[in-house]
Amino acid sequence: MADLSNEQIHEKVVEILSDSFELDPASIQPESTLYEELDLDSIDAVDIFVQLRDITGRRPDPEKAKEIRTVAELCAFVRAELVAAERGEPEPETPLPAQ
Amino acid sequence: MVDTDVVICGGGLAGLSLAVQIKARTPDARVVVLERTRRPLPEATHKVGESSVELASHYYGEVLGLKSMIEEQHLFKNGLRFHVGDGRGPLEDRAEIGPAEFPIAPSYQLDRGRFENRLRELCEERGVDLREGVLVRKLQIAGGEAPHRIVYRSDEGETTIQTRWLVDASGRARLILKELDLRRPSPNRQSAAWFRVKGRIKVDELVPASADAWHKRDVDDTRWLSTVHLMGRGYWVWLIPLASGYTSVGVVADHRHHRFSDFHKPERFDAWLAEHEPVLHARLHDGRDGVSGVLGGAEDFGVRPDYSYLCERMISPDRWACVGEAAAFVDPLYSLGGDFLAMSNCYAARAIDDDLRDRHDPAAIEELNAVWVQLAQDAARTLSRNGAMFAHGDIFGAKLWWDFFNYWAFMTTHFVQRIWEQDAATLRRFRRLQDRFYLLNHRAQSLLEAWAELEPRAHGNTKPFVGLPSFPSVLLDQHEAILKPLDPEATFAKLEADYVTGRALVSEILWHALRALGPERAAEFGRLAGLDPTWDLDLDPARVSADALPRRQRRDALGRVARDMERALGRLPTDTPLAELLERALGVCESTFTPSETSPSRVVGA
Repeated sequence: MADLSNEQIHEKVVEILSDSFELDPASIQPESTLYEELDLDSIDAVDIFVQLRDITGRRPDPEKAKEIRTVAELCAFVRAELVAAERGEPEPETPLPAQ
Repeated sequence: MVDTDVVICGGGLAGLSLAVQIKARTPDARVVVLERTRRPLPEATHKVGESSVELASHYYGEVLGLKSMIEEQHLFKNGLRFHVGDGRGPLEDRAEIGPAEFPIAPSYQLDRGRFENRLRELCEERGVDLREGVLVRKLQIAGGEAPHRIVYRSDEGETTIQTRWLVDASGRARLILKELDLRRPSPNRQSAAWFRVKGRIKVDELVPASADAWHKRDVDDTRWLSTVHLMGRGYWVWLIPLASGYTSVGVVADHRHHRFSDFHKPERFDAWLAEHEPVLHARLHDGRDGVSGVLGGAEDFGVRPDYSYLCERMISPDRWACVGEAAAFVDPLYSLGGDFLAMSNCYAARAIDDDLRDRHDPAAIEELNAVWVQLAQDAARTLSRNGAMFAHGDIFGAKLWWDFFNYWAFMTTHFVQRIWEQDAATLRRFRRLQDRFYLLNHRAQSLLEAWAELEPRAHGNTKPFVGLPSFPSVLLDQHEAILKPLDPEATFAKLEADYVTGRALVSEILWHALRALGPERAAEFGRLAGLDPTWDLDLDPARVSADALPRRQRRDALGRVARDMERALGRLPTDTPLAELLERALGVCESTFTPSETSPSRVVGA
């Protein structure tokens, strides 16, 4: 997954957005804003980040996720997560109880 | 003349934990436990029934105060996880239904021998008179104030003991219920077989590394800590990891779909697995990590034909009680055995405490009995005749959403908020709420059964992964509420609100089923389910018309429950408006359905 090109990441993001929210893929442009132009709400946003975990294998940092406003920013976020996964950077939290 | 305050017949999980509980709550109580076996028990292979869910975990951890011991010596459990679909195909192609993150309210996988050895020590530390190696021969159950008499045999010969309270914790032997003829049959007709193997069988090992998205979904690599269920038509197979390094493996099959004699012996079980779950079968035979097959390497092969039974009474004002499996055993699918054990123990401990403090309360005991007996009947309704759903991700996913909501609503809340400690009048008030949940559940199950009966697709996974609970959702809220203490008034208000949410949830199941079945099967579906306009559901015209709106408007017009259900379970396309599907289901429109050879499911009256 780390070798995904920026185009491939964009395609994945478009696929998730169009499948999950019945959006016309053509309407999803890099500069499209998630909440205004694409009409998503905060619950949809959670849905997106849960699905992105399947690509990145990481739990996203909610603070960073909150900052994202456009499709391009979302793609950049996925890229950063993939790089972090490659470097083995720690995830934001471990809900697993200590054993 | 009485010799003691309480005699508990049977020192298994139910009897030992009750003895510990009574001594903690009523320190002066004289408690005798009569148990056939002697220590030490084999740690990993002592008894089946390792998986505990939230209610039982709350009991062991909080009510008995054993949290730190359990968390040191046993495994945290990553909820229940179901892989639903074609058992002969690749596991990654089945719908996966389970927690996406480690659950907030804890639950555990218990090594039963290890746990019971520790409970026996605790009993002795707390002054319980634990008599091991004795066999109960005879009970004389008395009425009113007269003492009960128990005759038992030990190395020293026969002994008679008289007691104020008699508790039956003898498991399936069911000494009291047999004596008083209070055993009742269950509508649930299934059988089970199981064994333990040394070594870990992780569900992840059953899926090739090339299934990248499937593996990535499990961010923390904790899937294997779930009680894993491999679901196929008419059966399910469990995989439970144990702290001692063993894995518990078992099969449960519905009599309507599988013959018990096809898996009741190790060699047949092996052949049955090869046919129905070839991927797991291959793993059991590949010799990795010391795991070595059903034959030869398996320990403690056990069977339980037609395992389910109920009772007419669990506790009596005549000062006796049946706890754990000495009262009822419903079904292992949701690991509820420990829950019914926990509730029966708490009801008994409360009644014994009241009596020994001169507050014997027959009316409260009758209420507790009614709550318990109805909860067992309700669970039996939930867990019977489901075989046709086991292989279908859409139907079983909808069922799990409802069943978990329902479980965390009345049953779990009543327990963790300690409503069972309340007076008879309060208990009665909650029981009226229980009646409403009971009827709603009956209707939910009827809808699901009729859907499964008519569903044309053998499998269905509109969503490859369904969060149980998904985040955020009404289901997650319900799960989190387990940890939030409420007083009885606030608990009552919560349950009333839960009922409204539950009603919306069951209504969504109706819409999901109608979409899946389409206009040709809608009328037959309504007839099979017994659907009736007088049902207390959310058949609100606004909900129906919202469905036809364009995307954003539709979403804004739908309630939270509808949106949560669709996000979790997906939504099947339909060309027929919901209003028309509903009219057909209610018999308002003429049906175009041609009866096939499918047998109608029997619907038990509520």
